[in-house]
Amino acid sequence: MGGTTERRVGVYVCHCGGNISDYVDVERVVAAIRDEPGVVVAKNTIFACADASQSEMIEDIQRHKLDGLVVASCSPKLHTTTFRGVAARAGINPYTYTQVNIREQDSWAHTDDPAGATHKAISLIKGGIARTRLTEPLEPLVVETTRKALVVGGGIAGLRAAIGLADVGLDVFLVEKERELGGWVGRFGTMYPHERDGRELIDGLVAEVRGRDSITVFTNAELMARSGSFGNYVAAIRINNDLPELVHVEVGQIVLATGFDTYQPESGEFGYGIDGVVTLPEFKAMVDASSGPLTYHGRPVRTIAYIYCVGNRQPGGNEYCSKYCCAATVHASIEVAKLPGSVHQYHLYRDIRTYGKYELMYTESRKRGSVYMKFPEDMPPAVALDASGRLMVTTHDTLTGGEEVTIPADLVVLVTGMVPRRNEELMGLLKLPVGTDGFFNEIHPKLRPVETVVDGVLIAGACQGPKNSAESVASGLAAVTQSAAILKKGTAELDPLVATVRAVACSMCGDCLTACPYSAIEKAEVAGREVAAISPSTCKGCGGCVPVCPEDAIDLRGYTDAQIRAVIDSMLEEPVA
Amino acid sequence: MDYDALVVGSGIGGMESALKLGDMGYKVLVVEKEASVGGRMILLSKVFPTLDCASCISTPKMAQTIHHPNLTVLTYSEVEGIARNGDGHFKAKVKRKARYVDEVACTGCQKCETACTVAVPDQFNADLVARRAAYIAFPQAVPKKAVIERQGSSPCTFACPAGIEAHGYVSLIRSGEYEKAHRLVLDATPLVGTLGRACYAPCESECTRGSLEGTLPIRRLKRFISDRHVESGEDLGIEVAPPNGHRIAVVGSGPAGLTAAWQLARMGYGVKIFEAASEAGGFLRLAIPSYRLPVEVVERDIDNVRALGVEIATNSPVRDVEALKADGYEAVLLATGTPRSTGLGVPGEDRLGVMGGPEFLRKVKLGQPVDMAGRQVVVVGGGNVAMDAARVARRLSATSVNVVYRRGRAEMPAHHVEADDAEKEGVQFTFQVAPVEVVGDASGAVSGLRCVRMALGEPDGSGRRRPEPIKGSEFVIPCQVVIGAIGMTADTAAFASLIGLGRNGALQADPKTLQTNVPWVFAAGDVVNGATDITRAVGEGRRAAHMIDRWLTGGMLDGFDRRLPVVDKAEVLARQKTYTIRPTAPDGVTLETAPHDFREVEGGLTEAQAHEAAGRCMDCAVCSGCHECVAACPVDGCIDLQARDQELEVEVGAVVVSTGYRLFAADLKPQYGFGKYRNVITGMQMDRLLAPTRPFNTILRPSDGKVPERIAYVMCTGSRDETVGNPLCSKFCCMYSVKQNQLIMGALPLAEVTVHYIDIRAAGKRYDEFYEQSKAMGATYVKGRVAKITEKENGDLILRYEDIENGGKLVDAEYDLVVLAVGVQPNRDAAALFPEERLAEDEYFYVAEPDEDLNPGVTSIPGVFVAGAASGAKDIVDSILHAGAAAAQVAAHLERTQAKAKVPA
Repeated sequence: MGGTTERRVGVYVCHCGGNISDYVDVERVVAAIRDEPGVVVAKNTIFACADASQSEMIEDIQRHKLDGLVVASCSPKLHTTTFRGVAARAGINPYTYTQVNIREQDSWAHTDDPAGATHKAISLIKGGIARTRLTEPLEPLVVETTRKALVVGGGIAGLRAAIGLADVGLDVFLVEKERELGGWVGRFGTMYPHERDGRELIDGLVAEVRGRDSITVFTNAELMARSGSFGNYVAAIRINNDLPELVHVEVGQIVLATGFDTYQPESGEFGYGIDGVVTLPEFKAMVDASSGPLTYHGRPVRTIAYIYCVGNRQPGGNEYCSKYCCAATVHASIEVAKLPGSVHQYHLYRDIRTYGKYELMYTESRKRGSVYMKFPEDMPPAVALDASGRLMVTTHDTLTGGEEVTIPADLVVLVTGMVPRRNEELMGLLKLPVGTDGFFNEIHPKLRPVETVVDGVLIAGACQGPKNSAESVASGLAAVTQSAAILKKGTAELDPLVATVRAVACSMCGDCLTACPYSAIEKAEVAGREVAAISPSTCKGCGGCVPVCPEDAIDLRGYTDAQIRAVIDSMLEEPVA
Repeated sequence: MDYDALVVGSGIGGMESALKLGDMGYKVLVVEKEASVGGRMILLSKVFPTLDCASCISTPKMAQTIHHPNLTVLTYSEVEGIARNGDGHFKAKVKRKARYVDEVACTGCQKCETACTVAVPDQFNADLVARRAAYIAFPQAVPKKAVIERQGSSPCTFACPAGIEAHGYVSLIRSGEYEKAHRLVLDATPLVGTLGRACYAPCESECTRGSLEGTLPIRRLKRFISDRHVESGEDLGIEVAPPNGHRIAVVGSGPAGLTAAWQLARMGYGVKIFEAASEAGGFLRLAIPSYRLPVEVVERDIDNVRALGVEIATNSPVRDVEALKADGYEAVLLATGTPRSTGLGVPGEDRLGVMGGPEFLRKVKLGQPVDMAGRQVVVVGGGNVAMDAARVARRLSATSVNVVYRRGRAEMPAHHVEADDAEKEGVQFTFQVAPVEVVGDASGAVSGLRCVRMALGEPDGSGRRRPEPIKGSEFVIPCQVVIGAIGMTADTAAFASLIGLGRNGALQADPKTLQTNVPWVFAAGDVVNGATDITRAVGEGRRAAHMIDRWLTGGMLDGFDRRLPVVDKAEVLARQKTYTIRPTAPDGVTLETAPHDFREVEGGLTEAQAHEAAGRCMDCAVCSGCHECVAACPVDGCIDLQARDQELEVEVGAVVVSTGYRLFAADLKPQYGFGKYRNVITGMQMDRLLAPTRPFNTILRPSDGKVPERIAYVMCTGSRDETVGNPLCSKFCCMYSVKQNQLIMGALPLAEVTVHYIDIRAAGKRYDEFYEQSKAMGATYVKGRVAKITEKENGDLILRYEDIENGGKLVDAEYDLVVLAVGVQPNRDAAALFPEERLAEDEYFYVAEPDEDLNPGVTSIPGVFVAGAASGAKDIVDSILHAGAAAAQVAAHLERTQAKAKVPA
């Protein structure tokens, strides 16, 4: 180590309330790293991220003329930006900052071994100091952004997002796979909780979208490819499945609002397949279409049994709750009760999840005669035909001491939830990950709820997870806000922590080209020689190309080979006893 | 226009809307009523379903909010009203509540907090523990700056005519800081011991505790610190400015003159007091009897003044005020009081045996012989001097003492305690009687007082019924001594040529500035106002010193009375639902029916009594005015208790209402015993017990600090419950309970957690999985609403419920700790923001979103938007998405209306 002018580094070790200090002896850690080369200030702090601590760091940086900052706290995912901001506000280069994770990777992982956790913290921080000592000032890459957005999906979330984007002055391309805009809501009649007609809502939105000059609609269309880099993507869209020509549009952001599918029960699942056993969407369509007494295949319906949580909350199956189905079913049962004629309605449920104001519908449905029976988790209802060909639903009613009840029903409604739409192609072309539930994943439900790990690709509506119509609209507008926050500025800053090629050393073997998952590396001619060139705006700084280069011609800014070696060396030093 | 948007409230919803609008390039003003941004989320432990620590999510947003170049944040401020202009913009009135701490200068060192003597329930710890009146909201507060909570003046302090910080010294006594308490009184007047005995304590009449078991003995607490100070032998310990070379003459050494001299001397003036009598102290030394106010106490107080270098020249009547000027005194204060008694104005008043009350008292106090033994004494008058004279006469072995007063007992101006005590000491009273003539014997000595009986007619100007003589009702009271105590007047003949005189020879001075028609002559106290009492005289003396200093330093003659408005006692009492009636100290007065000496009749408080008494103080104004914070603050001038609220008016293009929600007040479900059973806590309190900034270092139950092993959750407390008027579901209580279950099981591996629920509403991304995880960890979920909770003697709790899943038996289950999963209530402050135009609420008083299906965040007023839980129960994820949507709506509105704030410099 050494060789450079000695750096002046400030190190702050965070208690994180007790998250770290309950297991790591923070005072000891500070004492152990205080005399590391380059360390000028070493302190502990209850919450490094608290504004007062940030102010203290800024004061220290300025007073002690520090030129490097290390904070040992939580995951860099949470606070790298926070403390780079501190460095910037203090007037030093933000990329001299190193975050050392002594929470997720230490205190939380070693709750049974405080001494070991303390040792580990010391090693990790020494590594962080070593890295910061070898940092070089870097400037973020500023790219101009295209003030246009692409919305994929023309359901209620996509339509509303498109209008929202246009409202704030952005040009919008709206791509819908189907022939018609409108998605699920476009097929619904009266919806909860405001008794608005789904078709009318959609008609209004479609008229609005069609009337806006700044919105271009492609129906029967699909996103086929995406190229370019952050803020300036080129989307290739195939219009009318049969046309070979692709339309290319330049966009700064892509909002995915591709919606959901409904769960399709297996044949025989709760009697599905038997005449008179229908899913919730099938039932909703029946109710929407009824103005007189409810009938099924021409037969009057006098008794309905609803079986909740079909295809949801199933260990080993779809474990999640679909959130909207309780309220939707309760609402449908009220609609049925309003129809002429008297219908007995039995709801066989696990938990009725009419959260918030929807509780009022649950109350109303009971007042209108619906009977609710909770069945034990391990004794789901059974649906069968009796000798006379009548549908019989057998359940155990918890409220009456688990008594077995058999309900002769004219109609059995399987309250089916949402499942993720099968979008493999889209996922593939955008490299978009999904969660264990199969829905698109946001980066963080609270910090970055509509952003995905793919820069510039946002998610809205039920493609992220079950949502009702109003919630989908809200998330669509939240995506508008996020897009506008980036695109309205006209420029965006990108991390400069990208790979670079020393052209003189490159032998153009091509290994890096295949290693790059982002297609950021291309062949280029430098001084008459063909070498690899990395597009800094496309490179994500994953480092995948660095080890494959046989000539050691590639280095990753901020994580250079020299830095990584120094980190390893420091971490391997014997910790001070 | 000043800002594109005003965001009211900086909880997670408000911050999200503001940040996103700022990111889009709009100028945003954020107004937060608390001292820190962050709302409720920052106070939570971890958040579901990711178990992120709430601080980790909140702090970066809080820091971003405060540092964002497009955001201006006003904390500890309130939006008082928003009105829409004709052009669609809004005018908003914002009150910047006085923090009493300079927001820029404060370093967040918390020394004021440590020094503060007032503890109040800590709203940021869900009232589990106390915080100080001077406080930083919580460890991660942004900005991390102290505020001092002052709700006004405490009634006791406000009532004191002397301007003594009564609440302040009471709270210092409570903290055991007797010397500091003494110094706080000294800050107003040197007469601590005197006032501790002879003040009529208007503070006590106003004490809020008076409507419970009884007022605090505030006066006797003052005596306690005075006595303690004397015992301790400590220095006065007060700050005195270096001499400034200016000289001031004070004429008269009564309470007004002594106090003025004291204050002026502390400011650095050279002060000399001229006293006509042979002893200094005015009425304190020469009238008030020693059984009420011992001479040595007065002399000690006067020594305080001398200790500052004030010279007191006795036997030095001032006959020529201008001569003082000629002697180099730059200002003169006349405070000569009302030394003369008013004559009876009846024939025979020059007979031997007739004397004025003040003259009589003076003789006694100067040790001059007054022979009362074996004589019948009549005292004429119903004021305090009459009471003093009567009681002194009793002590001088008069055969009988009869007080004759022309009106009834209720109309007597004497303090009721004085009259009661006089009666207990054997003084007789004859009411509705007026003297007509002093009857004498052949030698010319008094032999009786001829009186006429009076009838009470219509009320006069003073509101008291006017006494009128009843013809033919005359009679003679046989007596040898008549003491006239019907009034006192000033002796101002010597000043008459220079200063204007008013009624009864009173000096004329401006009641605010106390300046006379001669600019360098000021007049204060009874010589201006007629006979009043000690505290008023002290107050006048302080005012005179202030004004003289202002005048000499060329300042405006104002700024003396800077009291905050008095707090409303009803509001103070309403802070708590119930109060424990606490024992009061005995009054300490020993009276004899035939007293023979001048021993003090009242004893002091013991330290234990003083401590107990001070402990009953309700801290009406929260801040007591003890000034400990000012002394502790290392930054000069940072704390300024004279700071006042500031009003601000801004014009904005749009408004975001993000005022959040209130938590259900759990005591509205009396069957669950919250507020009565200490081990019944709310979900918010449990979150505080689990938070990294938790008040204790573990989960414990409040009654005995035991770590609970059996913990129950009562879901839907105040939600889905028509009996409390809230049929709605609160949405997040199931999930926060599920979260807490997991955290508890992590922290207390041996604890059993049982959840009594109706439905578990784990509706949301990864919520149901989170619920399953809690069951897998061992939490037990029992279906059915809890009927009632009762408490056992050891603090354990019995939950009664119908065990639905096991045959419907009634079950009594025992737990160590019960957590009520309280839900949300609307925050009706939201609608109150718009006094001129109705902001529509839904039927349950949340801000209505009339077009929620397509336009979340849009309210009934164009340009006004709602973000987060102000529009209905939302968890954090919902609030953030909703706030993001609201920001899109604001942006659309601003683009549509083409409003744009000028970039602030």
